[in-house]
Amino acid sequence: MADLDVEDLELHRRLSDGERDAFDELYRRYAPTAYGLAYRLTGQQILAQDVVHDAFMALWRAPEAYDPARGGFRTFFLSLVHHRAVDTVRREERMRKRTERAANLEPVVGEDVAEGVVDLAAIGERRREVREALTTLPAEQRQVLEMAYFDGKTQAAIADELGIPLGTVKTRTLAAMRKLRRALYRED
Amino acid sequence: MTEPHDEIEELLAGYVLRGLSGPDAARADALLSDHVPTCAACRDSLTRFQGITAELAFAADPLPPPDLLLTRLHRELRPRSRRQGPARIFAVAAGFIVVAGLTGLTVSQGMRAGGLQERANHLSSMLDLASRPDAEVTSLAGTGSPAPLTEISAPGTEVFYLFGRDVPPPPAGQVYRVWLVAGDASTPVGEFRPDDGLVAIRLAFDPTRYDEILITVEPEASEPGDPADVVWRAAS
Repeated sequence: MADLDVEDLELHRRLSDGERDAFDELYRRYAPTAYGLAYRLTGQQILAQDVVHDAFMALWRAPEAYDPARGGFRTFFLSLVHHRAVDTVRREERMRKRTERAANLEPVVGEDVAEGVVDLAAIGERRREVREALTTLPAEQRQVLEMAYFDGKTQAAIADELGIPLGTVKTRTLAAMRKLRRALYRED
Repeated sequence: MTEPHDEIEELLAGYVLRGLSGPDAARADALLSDHVPTCAACRDSLTRFQGITAELAFAADPLPPPDLLLTRLHRELRPRSRRQGPARIFAVAAGFIVVAGLTGLTVSQGMRAGGLQERANHLSSMLDLASRPDAEVTSLAGTGSPAPLTEISAPGTEVFYLFGRDVPPPPAGQVYRVWLVAGDASTPVGEFRPDDGLVAIRLAFDPTRYDEILITVEPEASEPGDPADVVWRAAS
Protein backbone atom coordinates (compact mmCIF):
# COMPACT_ATOMS: atom_id res chain seq x y z
CA MET A 1 0.00 0.00 0.00
CA ALA A 2 2.99 2.29 0.46
CA ASP A 3 3.41 2.70 -3.29
CA LEU A 4 -0.27 3.43 -3.65
CA ASP A 5 -0.05 6.07 -0.93
CA VAL A 6 2.91 7.71 -2.63
CA GLU A 7 1.12 7.70 -5.96
CA ASP A 8 -2.00 9.17 -4.37
CA LEU A 9 0.07 11.93 -2.86
CA GLU A 10 1.58 12.80 -6.21
CA LEU A 11 -1.84 12.71 -7.87
CA HIS A 12 -3.18 15.02 -5.21
CA ARG A 13 -0.29 17.39 -5.75
CA ARG A 14 -0.97 17.48 -9.48
CA LEU A 15 -4.68 17.92 -8.87
CA SER A 16 -3.87 20.84 -6.62
CA ASP A 17 -2.06 22.36 -9.58
CA GLY A 18 -5.24 22.07 -11.60
CA GLU A 19 -4.34 18.98 -13.64
CA ARG A 20 -7.50 17.26 -14.78
CA ASP A 21 -5.64 14.08 -15.67
CA ALA A 22 -4.81 13.68 -12.00
CA PHE A 23 -8.45 14.22 -11.11
CA ASP A 24 -9.46 11.53 -13.59
CA GLU A 25 -6.92 9.07 -12.22
CA LEU A 26 -8.11 9.58 -8.65
CA TYR A 27 -11.66 9.17 -9.90
CA ARG A 28 -10.71 5.92 -11.64
CA ARG A 29 -9.09 4.65 -8.47
CA TYR A 30 -11.68 5.57 -5.92
CA ALA A 31 -15.01 6.23 -7.60
CA PRO A 32 -16.11 2.56 -7.59
CA THR A 33 -15.33 2.22 -3.89
CA ALA A 34 -16.93 5.56 -3.14
CA TYR A 35 -20.02 4.80 -5.19
CA GLY A 36 -20.36 1.33 -3.69
CA LEU A 37 -20.11 2.76 -0.20
CA ALA A 38 -22.53 5.58 -0.93
CA TYR A 39 -25.03 3.20 -2.47
CA ARG A 40 -24.73 0.79 0.45
CA LEU A 41 -25.58 3.64 2.80
CA THR A 42 -28.20 5.53 0.85
CA GLY A 43 -29.85 2.69 -1.05
CA GLN A 44 -30.55 4.94 -4.00
CA GLN A 45 -28.55 5.51 -7.14
CA ILE A 46 -29.37 9.18 -7.39
CA LEU A 47 -28.37 9.86 -3.81
CA ALA A 48 -25.20 7.82 -4.18
CA GLN A 49 -24.31 9.74 -7.31
CA ASP A 50 -24.82 13.01 -5.51
CA VAL A 51 -22.60 11.91 -2.64
CA VAL A 52 -19.77 10.90 -4.96
CA HIS A 53 -20.24 13.95 -7.13
CA ASP A 54 -20.11 16.29 -4.16
CA ALA A 55 -17.05 14.57 -2.72
CA PHE A 56 -15.08 14.82 -5.96
CA MET A 57 -16.16 18.40 -6.54
CA ALA A 58 -15.09 19.31 -3.01
CA LEU A 59 -11.73 17.73 -3.76
CA TRP A 60 -11.36 19.73 -6.95
CA ARG A 61 -12.50 23.01 -5.48
CA ALA A 62 -10.55 22.81 -2.25
CA PRO A 63 -7.70 20.31 -2.57
CA GLU A 64 -5.96 22.00 0.33
CA ALA A 65 -8.59 20.51 2.60
CA TYR A 66 -6.43 17.39 2.50
CA ASP A 67 -3.36 17.83 4.66
CA PRO A 68 -0.78 15.09 4.02
CA ALA A 69 0.58 15.64 7.52
CA ARG A 70 -2.67 14.28 8.93
CA GLY A 71 -2.68 10.96 7.08
CA GLY A 72 -3.04 9.29 3.74
CA PHE A 73 -5.13 10.63 0.90
CA ARG A 74 -7.25 7.49 0.82
CA THR A 75 -8.20 7.98 4.46
CA PHE A 76 -9.13 11.57 3.82
CA PHE A 77 -11.17 10.97 0.72
CA LEU A 78 -13.06 7.84 1.74
CA SER A 79 -13.84 9.44 5.10
CA LEU A 80 -15.22 12.42 3.22
CA VAL A 81 -17.44 10.13 1.17
CA HIS A 82 -18.61 8.28 4.25
CA HIS A 83 -19.40 11.48 6.11
CA ARG A 84 -21.43 12.83 3.23
CA ALA A 85 -23.25 9.55 2.79
CA VAL A 86 -24.15 9.37 6.48
CA ASP A 87 -25.31 12.94 6.37
CA THR A 88 -27.46 12.16 3.36
CA VAL A 89 -28.97 9.12 5.04
CA ARG A 90 -29.85 11.06 8.15
CA ARG A 91 -31.46 13.85 6.18
CA GLU A 92 -33.42 11.36 4.15
CA GLU A 93 -34.60 9.59 7.26
CA ARG A 94 -36.24 12.71 8.42
CA MET A 95 -38.34 12.77 5.29
CA ARG A 96 -39.35 9.17 5.23
CA LYS A 97 -38.66 5.99 7.05
CA ARG A 98 -35.76 3.87 6.00
CA THR A 99 -37.99 0.87 5.54
CA GLU A 100 -40.00 2.67 2.91
CA ARG A 101 -36.86 3.43 0.99
CA ALA A 102 -35.64 -0.13 1.32
CA ALA A 103 -38.90 -1.34 -0.17
CA ASN A 104 -38.25 0.82 -3.18
CA LEU A 105 -34.59 -0.07 -3.46
CA GLU A 106 -33.64 0.37 -7.06
CA PRO A 107 -32.09 -2.56 -8.84
CA VAL A 108 -28.68 -1.32 -9.71
CA VAL A 109 -26.63 -4.34 -10.66
CA GLY A 110 -26.81 -8.06 -11.11
CA GLU A 111 -25.90 -10.68 -8.58
CA ASP A 112 -22.23 -9.97 -8.81
CA VAL A 113 -22.26 -6.37 -7.75
CA ALA A 114 -18.52 -5.99 -8.18
CA GLU A 115 -18.69 -7.09 -11.80
CA GLY A 116 -17.23 -4.47 -14.08
CA VAL A 117 -15.03 -2.95 -11.39
CA VAL A 118 -11.33 -3.48 -11.88
CA ASP A 119 -9.40 -2.49 -8.79
CA LEU A 120 -5.78 -1.57 -8.81
CA ALA A 121 -3.93 -4.57 -7.43
CA ALA A 122 -3.06 -2.74 -4.22
CA ILE A 123 -6.65 -1.68 -3.67
CA GLY A 124 -7.90 -5.19 -4.36
CA GLU A 125 -5.44 -6.53 -1.80
CA ARG A 126 -6.55 -4.02 0.80
CA ARG A 127 -10.16 -4.88 0.08
CA ARG A 128 -9.41 -8.50 0.88
CA GLU A 129 -7.55 -7.57 4.06
CA VAL A 130 -10.37 -5.41 5.34
CA ARG A 131 -13.00 -8.03 4.66
CA GLU A 132 -10.90 -10.70 6.28
CA ALA A 133 -10.37 -8.50 9.33
CA LEU A 134 -14.10 -7.98 9.65
CA THR A 135 -14.71 -11.72 9.69
CA THR A 136 -12.52 -12.05 12.76
CA LEU A 137 -14.81 -9.84 14.83
CA PRO A 138 -17.29 -11.45 17.19
CA ALA A 139 -20.78 -11.21 15.73
CA GLU A 140 -22.07 -8.74 18.31
CA GLN A 141 -19.12 -6.39 17.73
CA ARG A 142 -19.42 -6.58 13.98
CA GLN A 143 -23.14 -5.91 14.25
CA VAL A 144 -22.81 -2.60 16.08
CA LEU A 145 -19.93 -1.54 13.86
CA GLU A 146 -21.87 -2.20 10.68
CA MET A 147 -25.02 -0.57 11.98
CA ALA A 148 -23.04 2.57 12.66
CA TYR A 149 -20.89 2.55 9.56
CA PHE A 150 -23.17 1.17 6.87
CA ASP A 151 -26.55 2.20 8.22
CA GLY A 152 -25.46 5.59 9.52
CA LYS A 153 -27.09 4.97 12.89
CA THR A 154 -26.04 6.70 16.07
CA GLN A 155 -24.96 4.60 19.01
CA ALA A 156 -28.10 5.66 20.85
CA ALA A 157 -30.26 4.48 17.95
CA ILE A 158 -28.38 1.19 17.84
CA ALA A 159 -28.93 0.68 21.55
CA ASP A 160 -32.65 1.33 21.11
CA GLU A 161 -32.93 -0.96 18.14
CA LEU A 162 -31.05 -3.83 19.77
CA GLY A 163 -32.55 -3.27 23.20
CA ILE A 164 -29.17 -3.10 24.90
CA PRO A 165 -27.59 -0.38 27.06
CA LEU A 166 -25.82 2.46 25.29
CA GLY A 167 -22.70 1.61 27.26
CA THR A 168 -22.71 -1.86 25.77
CA VAL A 169 -22.83 -0.42 22.28
CA LYS A 170 -19.88 1.81 23.10
CA THR A 171 -17.89 -1.05 24.58
CA ARG A 172 -18.52 -3.33 21.63
CA THR A 173 -17.69 -0.58 19.18
CA LEU A 174 -14.39 0.20 20.83
CA ALA A 175 -13.49 -3.48 21.04
CA ALA A 176 -14.23 -3.86 17.34
CA MET A 177 -12.19 -0.82 16.41
CA ARG A 178 -9.24 -1.99 18.47
CA LYS A 179 -9.33 -5.42 16.85
CA LEU A 180 -9.43 -3.85 13.41
CA ARG A 181 -6.62 -1.53 14.37
CA ARG A 182 -4.45 -4.49 15.33
CA ALA A 183 -5.34 -6.38 12.18
CA LEU A 184 -5.05 -3.57 9.66
CA TYR A 185 -2.09 -1.78 11.14
CA ARG A 186 -0.29 -4.90 12.31
CA GLU A 187 -0.29 -3.73 15.89
CA ASP A 188 0.50 -6.18 18.69
CA MET B 1 -13.99 1.95 32.04
CA THR B 2 -11.77 3.24 34.77
CA GLU B 3 -8.95 4.63 32.67
CA PRO B 4 -9.71 8.09 31.32
CA HIS B 5 -8.08 7.25 28.02
CA ASP B 6 -10.29 4.20 27.60
CA GLU B 7 -13.27 6.46 27.94
CA ILE B 8 -11.76 8.91 25.50
CA GLU B 9 -11.02 6.13 23.03
CA GLU B 10 -14.61 5.01 23.32
CA LEU B 11 -15.75 8.47 22.35
CA LEU B 12 -13.21 8.75 19.55
CA ALA B 13 -14.33 5.41 18.13
CA GLY B 14 -17.93 6.61 18.13
CA TYR B 15 -16.90 9.96 16.73
CA VAL B 16 -15.11 8.64 13.67
CA LEU B 17 -18.08 6.37 12.94
CA ARG B 18 -20.43 9.37 13.09
CA GLY B 19 -22.18 7.51 15.86
CA LEU B 20 -22.30 10.04 18.68
CA SER B 21 -25.25 12.14 19.67
CA GLY B 22 -26.38 14.30 22.56
CA PRO B 23 -23.97 14.64 25.49
CA ASP B 24 -21.48 12.20 23.97
CA ALA B 25 -21.18 14.35 20.86
CA ALA B 26 -20.67 17.47 22.93
CA ARG B 27 -18.08 15.70 25.10
CA ALA B 28 -16.22 14.48 22.03
CA ASP B 29 -16.21 17.94 20.49
CA ALA B 30 -14.78 19.35 23.70
CA LEU B 31 -12.10 16.67 23.81
CA LEU B 32 -11.18 17.24 20.19
CA SER B 33 -10.83 20.90 20.89
CA ASP B 34 -9.07 20.78 24.24
CA HIS B 35 -7.43 17.45 25.03
CA VAL B 36 -6.68 15.58 21.84
CA PRO B 37 -4.48 18.26 20.25
CA THR B 38 -2.16 18.08 23.25
CA CYS B 39 -2.19 14.30 23.81
CA ALA B 40 0.01 12.21 21.53
CA ALA B 41 -1.73 8.96 22.48
CA CYS B 42 -5.16 10.34 21.69
CA ARG B 43 -3.98 11.91 18.45
CA ASP B 44 -2.57 8.55 17.44
CA SER B 45 -5.80 6.76 18.35
CA LEU B 46 -7.84 9.28 16.41
CA THR B 47 -5.61 8.94 13.36
CA ARG B 48 -5.77 5.15 13.50
CA PHE B 49 -9.52 5.11 13.97
CA GLN B 50 -10.00 7.54 11.11
CA GLY B 51 -7.88 5.27 8.98
CA ILE B 52 -10.02 2.29 9.90
CA THR B 53 -13.28 4.02 9.07
CA ALA B 54 -11.87 4.99 5.70
CA GLU B 55 -10.69 1.45 5.02
CA LEU B 56 -14.10 0.06 5.96
CA ALA B 57 -15.28 1.54 2.68
CA PHE B 58 -13.57 -1.44 1.09
CA ALA B 59 -15.97 -3.77 2.84
CA ALA B 60 -18.80 -2.46 0.68
CA ASP B 61 -19.04 -3.98 -2.76
CA PRO B 62 -17.51 -1.61 -5.28
CA LEU B 63 -19.85 -0.41 -7.98
CA PRO B 64 -19.04 1.17 -11.30
CA PRO B 65 -20.50 4.66 -11.13
CA PRO B 66 -22.74 5.70 -14.00
CA ASP B 67 -20.74 6.99 -16.98
CA LEU B 68 -22.72 10.19 -16.83
CA LEU B 69 -21.26 10.98 -13.43
CA LEU B 70 -17.77 11.63 -14.76
CA THR B 71 -19.26 13.56 -17.66
CA ARG B 72 -21.19 15.68 -15.18
CA LEU B 73 -18.06 16.27 -13.15
CA HIS B 74 -16.04 17.23 -16.21
CA ARG B 75 -18.70 19.72 -17.17
CA GLU B 76 -18.45 21.36 -13.77
CA LEU B 77 -14.67 21.36 -13.44
CA ARG B 78 -13.39 24.82 -14.00
CA PRO B 79 -9.89 26.15 -13.64
CA ARG B 80 -9.47 27.32 -10.13
CA SER B 81 -8.97 31.01 -9.57
CA ARG B 82 -8.66 33.13 -6.50
CA ARG B 83 -11.83 34.94 -5.65
CA GLN B 84 -12.05 38.06 -3.61
CA GLY B 85 -14.04 37.57 -0.47
CA PRO B 86 -17.05 39.71 0.20
CA ALA B 87 -16.04 43.33 0.09
CA ARG B 88 -18.19 44.05 3.10
CA ILE B 89 -16.27 41.64 5.27
CA PHE B 90 -12.87 42.91 4.24
CA ALA B 91 -13.88 46.51 4.59
CA VAL B 92 -15.20 45.97 8.07
CA ALA B 93 -12.30 43.77 9.09
CA ALA B 94 -9.83 46.41 8.06
CA GLY B 95 -11.43 48.81 10.48
CA PHE B 96 -11.70 46.54 13.48
CA ILE B 97 -9.38 44.21 15.25
CA VAL B 98 -11.67 43.10 18.03
CA VAL B 99 -12.78 39.57 17.43
CA ALA B 100 -14.63 37.26 19.74
CA GLY B 101 -13.74 33.63 19.46
CA LEU B 102 -15.30 30.39 20.50
CA THR B 103 -12.30 28.13 20.57
CA GLY B 104 -13.67 24.81 19.52
CA LEU B 105 -16.91 24.57 21.36
CA THR B 106 -15.75 26.37 24.43
CA VAL B 107 -17.95 29.21 25.50
CA SER B 108 -16.50 32.61 24.85
CA GLN B 109 -16.81 34.85 27.82
CA GLY B 110 -17.20 37.94 25.72
CA MET B 111 -15.65 40.17 23.16
CA ARG B 112 -12.95 41.29 25.53
CA ALA B 113 -11.73 37.80 26.31
CA GLY B 114 -8.37 36.76 24.99
CA GLY B 115 -5.33 38.76 24.03
CA LEU B 116 -5.05 41.14 21.18
CA GLN B 117 -2.83 38.75 19.25
CA GLU B 118 -5.36 35.97 19.66
CA ARG B 119 -8.11 38.18 18.35
CA ALA B 120 -6.00 39.21 15.41
CA ASN B 121 -5.30 35.56 14.66
CA HIS B 122 -9.02 34.82 14.66
CA LEU B 123 -9.61 37.67 12.29
CA SER B 124 -6.81 36.59 10.01
CA SER B 125 -8.14 33.02 9.89
CA MET B 126 -11.61 34.26 9.08
CA LEU B 127 -10.33 36.34 6.21
CA ASP B 128 -8.31 33.42 4.90
CA LEU B 129 -11.43 31.29 4.85
CA ALA B 130 -13.54 34.02 3.27
CA SER B 131 -11.00 34.50 0.50
CA ARG B 132 -10.96 30.84 -0.50
CA PRO B 133 -12.35 30.32 -4.00
CA ASP B 134 -14.91 27.87 -2.71
CA ALA B 135 -15.91 29.87 0.36
CA GLU B 136 -19.62 29.99 1.03
CA VAL B 137 -20.87 33.24 2.49
CA THR B 138 -24.54 33.34 3.40
CA SER B 139 -26.71 35.60 5.48
CA LEU B 140 -28.45 34.04 8.42
CA ALA B 141 -32.20 33.93 8.16
CA GLY B 142 -34.31 35.43 10.89
CA THR B 143 -35.84 38.52 12.30
CA GLY B 144 -34.81 41.82 10.84
CA SER B 145 -33.95 42.56 7.25
CA PRO B 146 -31.27 42.29 6.17
CA ALA B 147 -29.97 39.82 8.74
CA PRO B 148 -26.93 41.34 10.45
CA LEU B 149 -25.02 38.06 10.71
CA THR B 150 -23.21 36.19 7.94
CA GLU B 151 -22.02 32.60 8.00
CA ILE B 152 -18.66 31.91 6.37
CA SER B 153 -17.68 28.34 5.60
CA ALA B 154 -15.98 26.21 2.98
CA PRO B 155 -16.31 22.60 1.88
CA GLY B 156 -14.01 20.16 3.57
CA THR B 157 -13.40 22.24 6.65
CA GLU B 158 -14.84 21.96 10.11
CA VAL B 159 -14.51 25.65 10.87
CA PHE B 160 -17.32 28.15 10.56
CA TYR B 161 -17.39 31.85 11.27
CA LEU B 162 -20.34 33.98 12.17
CA PHE B 163 -19.57 37.55 11.31
CA GLY B 164 -21.67 40.64 11.65
CA ARG B 165 -21.69 44.33 12.27
CA ASP B 166 -24.53 46.50 13.43
CA VAL B 167 -25.75 43.52 15.40
CA PRO B 168 -28.24 44.84 17.92
CA PRO B 169 -27.45 44.15 21.56
CA PRO B 170 -29.68 41.63 23.30
CA PRO B 171 -32.18 43.02 25.78
CA ALA B 172 -30.83 43.92 29.20
CA GLY B 173 -29.98 40.87 31.29
CA GLN B 174 -29.94 38.62 28.25
CA VAL B 175 -27.33 37.17 25.89
CA TYR B 176 -27.22 35.56 22.48
CA ARG B 177 -26.74 31.82 22.71
CA VAL B 178 -25.36 29.67 19.86
CA TRP B 179 -26.80 26.17 19.32
CA LEU B 180 -25.91 23.30 17.03
CA VAL B 181 -28.93 21.29 15.97
CA ALA B 182 -28.95 17.65 14.89
CA GLY B 183 -32.43 16.34 14.29
CA ASP B 184 -34.42 16.94 17.43
CA ALA B 185 -31.34 17.48 19.59
CA SER B 186 -29.96 20.97 20.20
CA THR B 187 -26.60 21.52 21.85
CA PRO B 188 -25.72 24.92 23.31
CA VAL B 189 -22.12 25.78 22.43
CA GLY B 190 -21.61 29.33 23.56
CA GLU B 191 -22.90 32.79 24.26
CA PHE B 192 -21.95 36.22 23.01
CA ARG B 193 -22.72 39.90 23.09
CA PRO B 194 -21.85 42.20 20.20
CA ASP B 195 -19.09 44.69 20.88
CA ASP B 196 -20.26 47.97 19.43
CA GLY B 197 -22.35 45.91 17.07
CA LEU B 198 -19.43 43.76 15.91
CA VAL B 199 -19.48 39.96 16.12
CA ALA B 200 -16.91 37.50 14.81
CA ILE B 201 -17.30 34.00 16.21
CA ARG B 202 -15.32 30.93 15.34
CA LEU B 203 -17.06 27.58 15.57
CA ALA B 204 -15.24 24.28 15.07
CA PHE B 205 -17.46 21.28 14.54
CA ASP B 206 -18.20 18.50 12.12
CA PRO B 207 -20.87 19.87 9.73
CA THR B 208 -22.03 16.41 8.74
CA ARG B 209 -23.29 15.84 12.25
CA TYR B 210 -25.38 18.96 12.53
CA ASP B 211 -28.18 20.38 10.45
CA GLU B 212 -28.43 23.90 11.64
CA ILE B 213 -26.91 26.70 13.66
CA LEU B 214 -29.37 28.62 15.79
CA ILE B 215 -28.95 31.90 17.62
CA THR B 216 -31.37 32.52 20.44
CA VAL B 217 -31.85 35.19 23.05
CA GLU B 218 -31.62 33.75 26.56
CA PRO B 219 -31.47 35.10 30.10
CA GLU B 220 -27.89 35.70 31.11
CA ALA B 221 -26.32 32.84 33.11
CA SER B 222 -29.42 30.72 32.62
CA GLU B 223 -29.16 26.95 32.49
CA PRO B 224 -29.48 25.90 28.84
CA GLY B 225 -32.64 23.95 28.18
CA ASP B 226 -34.13 23.91 24.70
CA PRO B 227 -33.70 26.79 22.27
CA ALA B 228 -36.71 29.04 22.62
CA ASP B 229 -36.48 32.53 21.25
CA VAL B 230 -34.72 31.93 17.94
CA VAL B 231 -33.59 35.12 16.26
CA TRP B 232 -31.31 33.79 13.51
CA ARG B 233 -30.61 30.45 11.93
CA ALA B 234 -28.38 28.96 9.23
CA ALA B 235 -27.84 25.53 7.74
CA SER B 236 -24.52 24.03 8.80
